[in-house]
Amino acid sequence: MSEQLGQPGITSTSILGNPVLRREDDTLVRGQGRFVGNVPLEGALHVQFVRSTAAHGTIGSIEVDDALAMPGVVAVYTAADLGLDDRPVLMGFYPAEMARPFLARDRVRFVGEPIAVVVAETQYQAADAAETVWADIEPLPPVLGLSDALDGENLLFPDVGHNVAFRNSVEDPFDFSGYEVVVTENIVNSRVAAVSIEPRVVAAGIEDGRLTCWASSQGAHNFRKAVTDLLGIEGEDLRVFVQDIGGGFGAKGVTSEEEVMVVHLARKLGRTVRWTETRTENLTGHVHGRAQEQKVTIAGTSDGDIQAYRLDMLQDCGAYPRFGAFLPEFTRQMASGVYDIERVEVEYTSVVTTTTPVCAYRGAGRPEATAAIERAVDLYAAEIGMDPAEVRRRNLPASSAFPFTNATGTVYDSGEYEMVLDAALEASDYTGLRAEQQRRRDAGDNRQMGIGICVYVEITGFGGSEYGEVSLQADGTVLAVTGSTPIGTGHLTTWAMIVADRLGVPLEAVTVFHGDTDRVPSGQLTGGSRSVQIAGSSMGDAADKLVDLARDAAADLLEAAPDDLVLDRGRGAFHVAGTPSASRSWAEIASEAAEPLVGLSDFVQAGATFPFGAHIAVVEVDTETGQTTVERIVAVDDAGVIVNPLLAAGQVHGGLAQGIAQALLEEVRFDEDGNPQTSNLADYPAISMMEVPSYERSFTETPTPLNPLGAKGIGEAGSIGSTAAVQSAVVDALAPFGIRHLDMPLTPERIWSALQASGA
Amino acid sequence: MEAMSVTFARTVDDACAALAEHPGALLLAGGTDLMVGVNRGQVRFADVVVLDRVDELRGWRREGDEIVLGAGLTYAEMGRGELPALVPALAQASRTVGSPQIRNAGTLGGNVATSSPAGDTLPVLAALDATIDLRSAQGARRLAIGEFVTGVKQNALEPGELIEAVRVPVLDGPQEFLKVGTRNAMVISVVSLALVVDRSGRNVRVGLGSVSPVPLRPADAEAHIAGCIDWDTGSAPDAAAVHRFAALVAGAARPIDDHRGTAAYRSHAVGVLARRALLRAFPGGAS
Ligand SMILES: Cc1cc2nc3c(=O)[nH]c(=O)nc-3n(C[C@H](O)[C@H](O)[C@H](O)COP(=O)(O)OP(=O)(O)OC[C@H]3O[C@@H](n4cnc5c(N)ncnc54)[C@H](O)[C@@H]3O)c2cc1C
Repeated sequence: MSEQLGQPGITSTSILGNPVLRREDDTLVRGQGRFVGNVPLEGALHVQFVRSTAAHGTIGSIEVDDALAMPGVVAVYTAADLGLDDRPVLMGFYPAEMARPFLARDRVRFVGEPIAVVVAETQYQAADAAETVWADIEPLPPVLGLSDALDGENLLFPDVGHNVAFRNSVEDPFDFSGYEVVVTENIVNSRVAAVSIEPRVVAAGIEDGRLTCWASSQGAHNFRKAVTDLLGIEGEDLRVFVQDIGGGFGAKGVTSEEEVMVVHLARKLGRTVRWTETRTENLTGHVHGRAQEQKVTIAGTSDGDIQAYRLDMLQDCGAYPRFGAFLPEFTRQMASGVYDIERVEVEYTSVVTTTTPVCAYRGAGRPEATAAIERAVDLYAAEIGMDPAEVRRRNLPASSAFPFTNATGTVYDSGEYEMVLDAALEASDYTGLRAEQQRRRDAGDNRQMGIGICVYVEITGFGGSEYGEVSLQADGTVLAVTGSTPIGTGHLTTWAMIVADRLGVPLEAVTVFHGDTDRVPSGQLTGGSRSVQIAGSSMGDAADKLVDLARDAAADLLEAAPDDLVLDRGRGAFHVAGTPSASRSWAEIASEAAEPLVGLSDFVQAGATFPFGAHIAVVEVDTETGQTTVERIVAVDDAGVIVNPLLAAGQVHGGLAQGIAQALLEEVRFDEDGNPQTSNLADYPAISMMEVPSYERSFTETPTPLNPLGAKGIGEAGSIGSTAAVQSAVVDALAPFGIRHLDMPLTPERIWSALQASGA
Repeated sequence: MEAMSVTFARTVDDACAALAEHPGALLLAGGTDLMVGVNRGQVRFADVVVLDRVDELRGWRREGDEIVLGAGLTYAEMGRGELPALVPALAQASRTVGSPQIRNAGTLGGNVATSSPAGDTLPVLAALDATIDLRSAQGARRLAIGEFVTGVKQNALEPGELIEAVRVPVLDGPQEFLKVGTRNAMVISVVSLALVVDRSGRNVRVGLGSVSPVPLRPADAEAHIAGCIDWDTGSAPDAAAVHRFAALVAGAARPIDDHRGTAAYRSHAVGVLARRALLRAFPGGAS
């Protein structure tokens, strides 16, 4: 790896590829992390939102007088006097009338939608006052089922005339009648919540005459842009700090209405204000993910050649279309997954419903694609009576086919799909597993075994750039400034490794700085697993530029030509090639320099990268209770070159857990009136350590040509492969009972009911 | 807002006196149920009597063949020391409750007083024929668990009264507690079941949770299985007897549909739990 990274004339053993412990953890485990909730803010006021308890209705009057009279209350606003225009729809993609008012105006469209905001001296005064706000809401019928939303006459936005936010149709649909084998199935990709440990929290006030904001966001600059655009002020007029954040998972990638309002209130009142949501607000008022109804049609020969695939999707956007309405577009791009299928077509429609809005959640659109195609391939394999591993192998593109253009036009940069499939089959002892499965089937065991295979490819990075700055300080230490926001992803460790490696300085000599929009000129959102590949590459590039500047400086000091100098990364010193005794170290260069040497980078990645892998899940299903136990997860993941295998494994571990969670446990549910039924963590069964096995995990490394590190993204892959593998394993366990498909989450009750229906 | 009073009782008498002085005062033990209610706006504090400093309510003691469990006994305490050997089902139930934090704070008295159908100690107490010692400034009385819990989150506690202790017998025979939830930890029971064997009494007693408003005793199932066991040898009942037992337990359940599970699944699952608990208590039996 050091060869790929190195410049000519540089020698050393690289720290890259080593499992370096996270530098962030010492602070965090000592409770010294700096989260928005514990930023000391003298005299900060507290914000409490009053939320709709009706899923759909027209607002008559809202009584706030009692609240205003409560002790400690500073202000109460409704849509009428908040003074903010509605938030326009995303990039103008959707009907403009679907704009979202910051506080519900005239109509409420989901339980949890803010209808008023109370500002008070203390959190408790704000909460008490909020309870006295009374809204006269005339109920309207809720819009819940997606087909109802599509065809029904009950509209969320009567001015639009329908509930459709976005759609993609195929001109003349393909005729499937000519194929030997055609299989179809309806699949629900359930709605889930991101459940970051730290819910939404934001504070804002005037510091040194500047509007300043502390945010828990996946991107300091994105947050600033969203807020300043919506408040109609200049970017420079707002300083945003993003320090430690307790998880984002995509949901903190969009700046929410509440957060914008908090900054607005700070301006309006000229006071410092802070808002921390409760878990129930988080589960009902913050965005959800997935929420797709799919129909797959797969066709091929009876000997295992898949020839055509069609995916129809209905996407639930929730009450206001934002990024969620666009999710099926990512699903479309990745619809055919790892397979080389001649003919693929995808249609989708995104509809609004009277539920919490849907946005990005770990994987955003790709897990949905993977789940659909992997279920389809399993169904097809079952139909033709071929082993699912064999069907997969037969339809993978050869490694010589890369860059590979899939049937929806997406270009996969590099891949070794058969290699990861084989590695996973071998690591799991697939043949042995099938034998044990057969034994239990023959014995009519009430603990049936299921084996699920998922070979996935996903899209990460999406091209684009990131700010990187690496400078040599007067004391010989190195400051690395990044535009990228860490979200529990270990940037401080990985960036320091990359910089230390390029410069040949110890890790301890590198300080990584991020998350202050005054100090960092620009930055992009941490999302789409882009950080290492793009921001990491930009760090490396900035470090290389610093090496060039330092080489010039050292050449001056050594009275030699820069081209004759080499950097000995083992010693952290420049010397003339062949004469190591006369050298200048980083510290010497620093002390001689008139001003800090600064390497700058705006590294641009030309396109997306496509990590891939194979996950095999082994489950045991108790056919009496329907209870599933995940016995094994074998995961072989390839995200190109791995900079820090420990951190990359951490990403995979979390992703695998979230995948198992969607497959078996988690689902956001509403009752027939549109009331949330999963509004706390007793009712929303977020996964715990008790439900996951010890993972059997490994990496293969197929570099991408698109960045100098050779790295692809690993942040989302875990959840993409495991979800489909676990679902498939459960269905496989139930195959002897004639069950060919079951939707997630595969709860004991759902499995038991299916077994009952099958007459088992 | 009216002023509220908070009394930190040191003795049971203190607590009873404070309750008499402030009718309608709320008792606060571990707070793991009460504070949830407060946070949801379902419980309004008026006056509070805090119990966790009352030494008499803590711990447990043995009185002959009976164990006297203090109302302030925490789940963590139920699961350690000698108690698990004396009342195994209670220890097993305690280990399924909440998380370590909840088990350190939550108490037996709080679970009994909450009287939720999903309260995990209740099926155990029902199976053990536990009695509840109540105290007030007026005096003491003792109720059977079946008399104490009267409905969903309803009980016979009178104003001014508190739970002082819970009495359970030490039985000769195995005990089991089994629970089905939506995940393996930190969950509210979808169904739960306690099964205790009383060799000297020659009976098997079963308590069911989350399948009726009050903890249920499936009398027919108990009578049936007691008659199928050879109490002299202690050998396992045969497969047909076990199946009938499970069916009778399932048939006794009176569950409802709610967002955690359907009535049909609950009845089925409690039957499976019954069979499995019985087979664990009498290993070697045919399933
Ligand atoms: C996260 C979480 C997980 C949980 N998991 C479970 C679980 O798995 N299983 C389960 O059964 N429960 C569970 N619970 C509920 C709760 O922990 C138990 O019911 C616990 O036993 C309550 O005891 P406490 O001491 O905290 O009671 P408190 O909350 O202090 O009081 C509860 C009620 O009992 C009354 N009370 C308390 N002590 C007395 C007394 N001595 N005499 C008369 N009245 C009294 C109070 O006034 C109040 O009405 C959970 C709760 C939480 C928050």
